[in-house]
Amino acid sequence: MFSDLILRLRSLFRRETVESETDAELRFHFDQQVAKFIKSGLTREEAMRRARLEFGGHEQLKEEIRDARGVNLVETLIQDVRYGLRILARTPVISCIAILSLALGIGANTAIFSLIDTVMLRMLPVQKPEELTQVRMNDPRSPNEEPEPTFTNPLWEALRDRQDFYSGIFAWSLTQFDLSQGGAVRDVNGMFTSGEYFSTLGVRPVAGRLITAADDKRDCPGVAVLTYGFWQEHFGGAPSAVGGTVSLDNHSFEIVGVSAPGFSGLEVGNKFDVAIPICAAEIFDGPKTRLDRRSWWWLNVAGRSKPGVNADELEARLGVISPQVFAAALPRDWEPKNQEEFLKRSFVLTPAATGTSYLRRRFTQPLHILMGVVGLVLLIACANIASLMLARAAARHKEIAVRKALGASRARLIRQLLTECVLLSSAGALLGVLFARWGSALLVRYISTGDNKVFLDLSLDWRVLSFTAGVAVFTGILFGVLPAFRSTRVSLTSAMKGSQAIDGESRAKFRPGKWIVASQVALSLLLLVASGLFLRSLITLVTMDAGFDRNNVLIVRANLHTAKALPEQQPAMFDEVERRLRSLPGVISGSRSVMTPVSNYVWNSDLDVDLPNAPKGDAALAYFNFISPSYLETVRTPLLAGRNFNDGDTKTAPRVAVVNETLARTFFPNGDALGKYFRIHPDPGKPAPPILIVGLAKDAKYESLREEAHATAYFPIAQIPEDAEEQVFELRTAARPSALVPSVQEAVASVSKAIPLEFHTLAEQVDDSLVQERLLATLSTFFGALALLLAMIGLYGALSYLVAQRQPEFGIRMALGAPRGSILRLVMRDVVAVLAGGLAAGACLALAAVGVLQKMLYGLAPHDTLTFLVAIGVLSAVAMLAGYLPARRAMRIDPMAALRYE
Amino acid sequence: MATKKIELPQGTLDLLILRTLALEPQHGWAISERIQQISSDVLLIQQGSLYPALHRLERRGWIKAKWGTSENNRRAKYYELTKTGRKQLELEQDSWKKLAAAVAQILETA
Repeated sequence: MFSDLILRLRSLFRRETVESETDAELRFHFDQQVAKFIKSGLTREEAMRRARLEFGGHEQLKEEIRDARGVNLVETLIQDVRYGLRILARTPVISCIAILSLALGIGANTAIFSLIDTVMLRMLPVQKPEELTQVRMNDPRSPNEEPEPTFTNPLWEALRDRQDFYSGIFAWSLTQFDLSQGGAVRDVNGMFTSGEYFSTLGVRPVAGRLITAADDKRDCPGVAVLTYGFWQEHFGGAPSAVGGTVSLDNHSFEIVGVSAPGFSGLEVGNKFDVAIPICAAEIFDGPKTRLDRRSWWWLNVAGRSKPGVNADELEARLGVISPQVFAAALPRDWEPKNQEEFLKRSFVLTPAATGTSYLRRRFTQPLHILMGVVGLVLLIACANIASLMLARAAARHKEIAVRKALGASRARLIRQLLTECVLLSSAGALLGVLFARWGSALLVRYISTGDNKVFLDLSLDWRVLSFTAGVAVFTGILFGVLPAFRSTRVSLTSAMKGSQAIDGESRAKFRPGKWIVASQVALSLLLLVASGLFLRSLITLVTMDAGFDRNNVLIVRANLHTAKALPEQQPAMFDEVERRLRSLPGVISGSRSVMTPVSNYVWNSDLDVDLPNAPKGDAALAYFNFISPSYLETVRTPLLAGRNFNDGDTKTAPRVAVVNETLARTFFPNGDALGKYFRIHPDPGKPAPPILIVGLAKDAKYESLREEAHATAYFPIAQIPEDAEEQVFELRTAARPSALVPSVQEAVASVSKAIPLEFHTLAEQVDDSLVQERLLATLSTFFGALALLLAMIGLYGALSYLVAQRQPEFGIRMALGAPRGSILRLVMRDVVAVLAGGLAAGACLALAAVGVLQKMLYGLAPHDTLTFLVAIGVLSAVAMLAGYLPARRAMRIDPMAALRYE
Repeated sequence: MATKKIELPQGTLDLLILRTLALEPQHGWAISERIQQISSDVLLIQQGSLYPALHRLERRGWIKAKWGTSENNRRAKYYELTKTGRKQLELEQDSWKKLAAAVAQILETA
């Protein structure tokens, strides 16, 4: 009710006025009454006396009026807050510890949640994002796999031209462009877009214009649109940038406009800086452009539905046109069987309101695991503060008894104590949000790799803030309720007697403290086990023999296509560069190849061998690399038998290969692969020359460290069947690989200044492939240690309190002749009991919970005994230490002093 | 005087206040006087219950208060019935009459 609200607010904020008005009102009444009595014949004194008698307690009446006006609730809250702040300020150290551990707990939760929010929950900053759906394809060959999101250009055009039921449909493809014109590569995040991209999303320009349908026509000259961020960063936001040019992979594009700030594309975690129309791909590709290629999968497609049309209807209408669409884009060079299956594909729609993201596939599970981990840390922190509160409540025993004796109701006292807790947790939350800002930025940097910068907009939104607020209130109540209820259950008489009871009562009173510490131990064990498992997985991956030596290898990627070298000159140029690089001082061994280990790129195909029971289908898949003769030596993959390649293995010489153990074992089970022939399964109508196996190499990881070794075949780079315009040089160095970069640049420039170069080290490349593992191992270890620390503070605090409570008892025991050792045993018995209980519960919990980690582990089972034992050992050792310190204090009690105190 | 005093049933005071204010706006003292007079001194309203009741009714929006000048030329807080208060008075009057009649009937016949 509005008038009610006004009245209450007035009572609250115009308190002085309202109070004096009430005073005046009552005064008036009093005076009238006195006047009436005088009129009826009493003397003035007599009249005043009777009126006062009738009136009763003035203050009490005012309090009742305040209640009637409904202001007391808020007023006492303010009182409670003031009092709570005073109490917290009285024990600054304890309050700081509590706030800090809460801030860490809440901060960690907020940081992880804000990542989950940005990666998975947040809506795209475009018009009506809920109308957007991404178009993907179900492949009848692999019905259980996720629908395929990438399209070929002919397929996209066929779909675009045959549909009329979208209000707008568009395609895009993210890529990297090189801004430099020769020399060290300067990458920029590029995007190919169809003409309808910006208009369908409803993104507006802040300068110039955006790409339109008219820009996206075959043989287009190519125009570029910059994002606001890139425009600011590279052009200082100068209006003159529009109309100027930008060089992408050594081709010049006219800048026609800048898109509005806030929008950075549909893919969460990746942004674009420069957008160009799809038709411009021909400028980079030349006559064999991907625009016509029917098996070059590179485009993503999404659309905006017309108002009132739901996804099911759209899917049904897509189903009607899909046979024509797939028929129009059929890859003609595929085998008939695969063509048939291609025609059986169907379109499926997935909501794109929150954008699309590879991060989501890759990090959903780790993020959920981390959310669980930080949740546990917060619980442990809460438990800590609960035991702190218990101890403090015991110290305030007398105060509470006095307040109760003066008439405070229990509900009122509980409210007071809970207010203190919520104050603590709100302070923790405020500080926690700061930690979280810093922590989540750190996390994003952590999951970015050299090749793949992760870009996330981590601004706080209402969802994150309400999450934090919710967590703060929840934790405040969680650690406040038990102490509040316990400490207000005071027996007035015993409290007033003034003695701290030393009998069984006080030990019983401590029982919840033990429960709290035991559960902290249990939760800490769970975290330690998890971090142990992640850590051991990572160590296994990092230290295992991958079949190559990742240390001290510089990787130099050179692109002769961007350098605009003619295809027929390229082999000679690569040869020349390799020769110069190998003779650089500091290079132990140098080579070149098409692939490098664990690089995210694969080249594979099926193999045919002339044997009965030859592997077929997926079993016949082998992975390829084309290498110069010194490659195996440079990456240190041992040649086990046969010969290496040499200068005689030229383009025109008979085809030869070195194969790895797995390939030899798979295709030649009799162990006689050397000297045998195989063929690469040909495209229909193409010849497949026999390839002689001349050497056998040790297995090496190809795609990722986690894989079982792939069947791998190495071929001489001179015999590469198609152009590889981008090749990689590997240089094993004596000193730090990156120190070699300037001399490499110089050597390459002496061949051609136009060649763009990209530098990595092999060690970086391997590290980058372990981001997920390292993230989990590092963070879970960090939080495991934090949990351990918190639990130990809890144990130490609880025991110190217990020892202080039992000091008189220990004094008496010693006075009666108990040896000091027995006092120590007495205390340690409590420690062991709490520890054993906590460990048993924690072990059960961990055994039940670690199953979910299975997929994230490598080289060990979730129920790994050693990990469990080490975790239990570490926890026990630290707990015994935390318990021993107060126990020793108990042992050193001077019996006389203790008794006198009593 | 003590012998005349009758405990008011819960909620009755509100009804009496509303009824008293139905005639004209009044300040607190006059309300209690009026009730005392009309009830021939049977009902004595204590300030301890009168003022909390007035403020409660004001909060509910049934009466509103404004400052005015009293008969003896002093500033006094006058209460008057609002529209919702008048409706409420009718409701409570009805239900009170029904209740009183029912109680009377039981007392006479039983």
